Amino acid sequence: MEYVQPDTLEAAVSRLGRGGCTILSGGTDLAVVNRASGLKPECFVDICRISQFSGMELGEEGLHIGPCTTIAELAASAEIPHCLSQGASAIGSPQIRNAATVGGNICNASPCGDTLSPMVALSASFVLVSPRGSRAVDAETFFLGPKKTVLADDELLTDIIIGREFLKGTSAFKMLGKRKGQVISQVNAAVWLLLEDGVVAKVQAAFGSVAPVPLRARQTEAFLTGKELDAGTIHESLAYVKQDIRPISDIRASEAYRYRLAESIFHDVLKQAAGLACC
Amino acid sequence: MVIHFTCNGKPVTVDVDGDMRVLDVLRDVLDLTGTKEGCGEGECGACTIILNGKTVNSCLLYAGKLQGAVVETIEGLSGDSAGLHPIQESFLEEGAVQCGFCTPGMVLSTKALLDRHPDPSIKEIETALSGNFCRCTGYGKIMKAVVSSAEKLRDSREDGHQSGTGLGVKRG
Ligand SMILES: Cc1cc2nc3c(=O)[nH]c(=O)nc-3n(C[C@H](O)[C@H](O)[C@H](O)COP(=O)(O)OP(=O)(O)OC[C@H]3O[C@@H](n4cnc5c(N)ncnc54)[C@H](O)[C@@H]3O)c2cc1C
Ligand code: FES
Ligand code: FES
Repeated sequence: MEYVQPDTLEAAVSRLGRGGCTILSGGTDLAVVNRASGLKPECFVDICRISQFSGMELGEEGLHIGPCTTIAELAASAEIPHCLSQGASAIGSPQIRNAATVGGNICNASPCGDTLSPMVALSASFVLVSPRGSRAVDAETFFLGPKKTVLADDELLTDIIIGREFLKGTSAFKMLGKRKGQVISQVNAAVWLLLEDGVVAKVQAAFGSVAPVPLRARQTEAFLTGKELDAGTIHESLAYVKQDIRPISDIRASEAYRYRLAESIFHDVLKQAAGLACC
Repeated sequence: MVIHFTCNGKPVTVDVDGDMRVLDVLRDVLDLTGTKEGCGEGECGACTIILNGKTVNSCLLYAGKLQGAVVETIEGLSGDSAGLHPIQESFLEEGAVQCGFCTPGMVLSTKALLDRHPDPSIKEIETALSGNFCRCTGYGKIMKAVVSSAEKLRDSREDGHQSGTGLGVKRG
């Protein structure tokens, strides 16, 4: 097998263009999948030596997060919106968070990926590069289904951008699973909120694990916008949450249970983002 | 591929497939069998090693990732001395070892924690060990061993300096 560690984006794209490659970031998803399938990859393109792929930087458009930034770095970061560091903290164990990367979490596109709903709530923009050129895709349109994205086989996620607008305001994330530590979300939600004198100037919310892809909660957002955010409004908004999501029944939880969970989690994240005492 | 890295303070070179698991490089190529395989899928932490100062599961780590890296395994803990590391001593003294299968991983997660936080809170210890499963002890004695090894290490650091400060574990 071939294992290449390009140190520039150009070298990585040129090797990807020749075909037969699997992109390797932290490897925590790939190692499990490859072991289960017993398949041996023809070629790994390990992208983590490309220096601009690691770390975060504030630019004109907003905050750039390199795809090989580890989940542990995100979890510890005070620079990023709180919902994203909370999402990262919810992932796996210390060992997993030290190896796993944010780009891997996004590109793996598991419906229960814990950085996905924060990315969608924050309208993150993903820069994708292939031998055919570069394009930017919104987080919301990037995911097509469980483990399915708009990425072509030879296409790399090279940059994650959180727009300047979303670096203001407050945000929160919450997930619920069956136990503490090493859990897979049954439902998770992220909310980003901009309050002006107690009134919702703008709000964006997204749910994970309630549909094949992370979902924006547009009807709930529309209801909340322009309203004073008190306990009554928060309670009323829960009726819209039901209309925004389409949960499934699977081995982790039933559809009815997920509806209840989604309401309860949304209630908590909204209060948290608003700085109201929670529960 | 030819991979050069530092293992327990010594330069090492291996020639293996880049997609070999680091767990197998350690156990089968370098004969360092202190690193254990439990689940083989990132859940149990028996295969924990310290890579560039951070704990990772060697069962999920590809050999190619070792190029130029610094690795610590349980075999490197006591350095060149014949004795045990204070963390290992505490695990024995507190009875935190039963079958012992989880112990190398527990000890390395403890070491990585204490290298960063010499005086961790109970909550910090719980988080640091949350990726290490033990099927025997019920964790109580392991927690005690971590607390006592933290005290030991702080004492040895304070030897010759000012003593009697910062002892006792924070709760919370
Ligand atoms: C025990 C265990 C517990 C876990 N717990 C959680 C959890 O609680 N929450 C959660 O969300 N996840 C969890 N995971 C899943 C996994 O750790 C995360 O999804 C992680 O972020 C994946 O990142 P990685 O760098 O390891 O990805 P990799 O395995 O390297 O890659 C994942 C996929 O993305 C592709 N890819 C990676 N980077 C790029 C890129 N830049 N461009 C294009 N394609 C790319 C790869 O080809 C591969 O298909 C867990 C995994 C394990 C083993
Ligand atoms: S053997 Fe690696 S985590 Fe269980
Ligand atoms: S002592 Fe047996 S698994 Fe921990």
